[in-house]
Amino acid sequence: MPKRLFAKVRRLVASKSAGVVLLAGFAAGFIALSLFGTSMIYTGTEQFCAQNCHEMANNNTKEYKDTIHDKNRTGVRATCADCHVPHAPVPLYIAKFGALNDLWSHHVTHAVDTPEKFDAQRGHMAERIWTYMKGNDSRECRSCHNEAKMDPEKQSDMAKARHTKAKKEKLTCVDCHYGIAHKVPDGPGPQELEVDKAFISRSAIF
Amino acid sequence: MSKIVDSFRAWKAGPGSIGLLILGVILGLTFFFSGGSFMVYANSEKFCATSCHEMSFLAEEHKGTIHDTNRTGYRATCNDCHVPHGYVPNYFAKLALFNDYWGHWTGSIDTKEKFEAKRYELAKKVWTYMKSNDSRECRHCHTTAKMDPDKQTTKAKARHEKLRTENLTCVDCHFGIAHTEPEGPGPQELTAAAAGK
Repeated sequence: MPKRLFAKVRRLVASKSAGVVLLAGFAAGFIALSLFGTSMIYTGTEQFCAQNCHEMANNNTKEYKDTIHDKNRTGVRATCADCHVPHAPVPLYIAKFGALNDLWSHHVTHAVDTPEKFDAQRGHMAERIWTYMKGNDSRECRSCHNEAKMDPEKQSDMAKARHTKAKKEKLTCVDCHYGIAHKVPDGPGPQELEVDKAFISRSAIF
Repeated sequence: MSKIVDSFRAWKAGPGSIGLLILGVILGLTFFFSGGSFMVYANSEKFCATSCHEMSFLAEEHKGTIHDTNRTGYRATCNDCHVPHGYVPNYFAKLALFNDYWGHWTGSIDTKEKFEAKRYELAKKVWTYMKSNDSRECRHCHTTAKMDPDKQTTKAKARHEKLRTENLTCVDCHFGIAHTEPEGPGPQELTAAAAGK
């Protein structure tokens, strides 16, 4: 089959002039990459992430509503992808492949298709996210929140003190800021999780 | 010269091949990739704020404002406010870069004094643009429907209420927030292109 297809293409390009063939190739390459890029953007939108399947829509999305990352004084928001999808190109592609797991679960195993099943898995899922975030020093948090540009004068006394302490104790954002957009499961929090911090460096793009 | 054109014509009319098709695909991918990368790079703070000394005046002013340092460290840099986020308006804005090149070569604002002399004119251009599209770039980050009035001051709440009845837009009040405010009438007094909405 591939052999016959190849022969067909070869006959086709030989019957056209060189200029036309070159132009057709150019258009194909251009369109392919723009489709790829557009699909990366579309699959990062709130419309796609939050509403496309009932697993997300009935659980995570509902919990997220009215939290500080959804609704606040200035109306500047962080949606699903801002916290849960890497922003650097290569980790992004890997994360998109990880979405195949979601498709598998939705169509085959039905692992979290009711709120009850979802709650039963909550601890396990939260632990996975916390481990990932600890492993890359809360990379996705830091994609928006630039530590060097935080003004301690505008933070509460408690926050100031704790941020200083966190630096000394080599903690990362998610060690304290967890359960801020979704319900907190029972069991140990991120600080109790043992994670090899050298696993992924924050600046790595692979 | 005509020899080159003639031989190009002859080659173009000649038969195609798989190799040419693949070359075309590679060129198409490269073209899109470099175009896209340029769009991203040209929006970075590194490029916008520090590539030319004219902009470094503006970058200095932005330092320490609420869009640079704040409680949470969530920032807005040059392009967030000054470059459209939609595809097509973005391309037009990038073409306007040529104007900046022209300004750079002709030295229209190459000293602090020249810049100060033109400040009002430049501010007016930006205000007019923002008014004409109902502060589109502000609204890209600030979603009105997701603002919590209970977290705003009483004054802000009252004024936001008021502006809705008066058909004002963000920049009508929130101006001079990231750069030094020039002398002269502010955006509310500019009625020229306040079509918007």
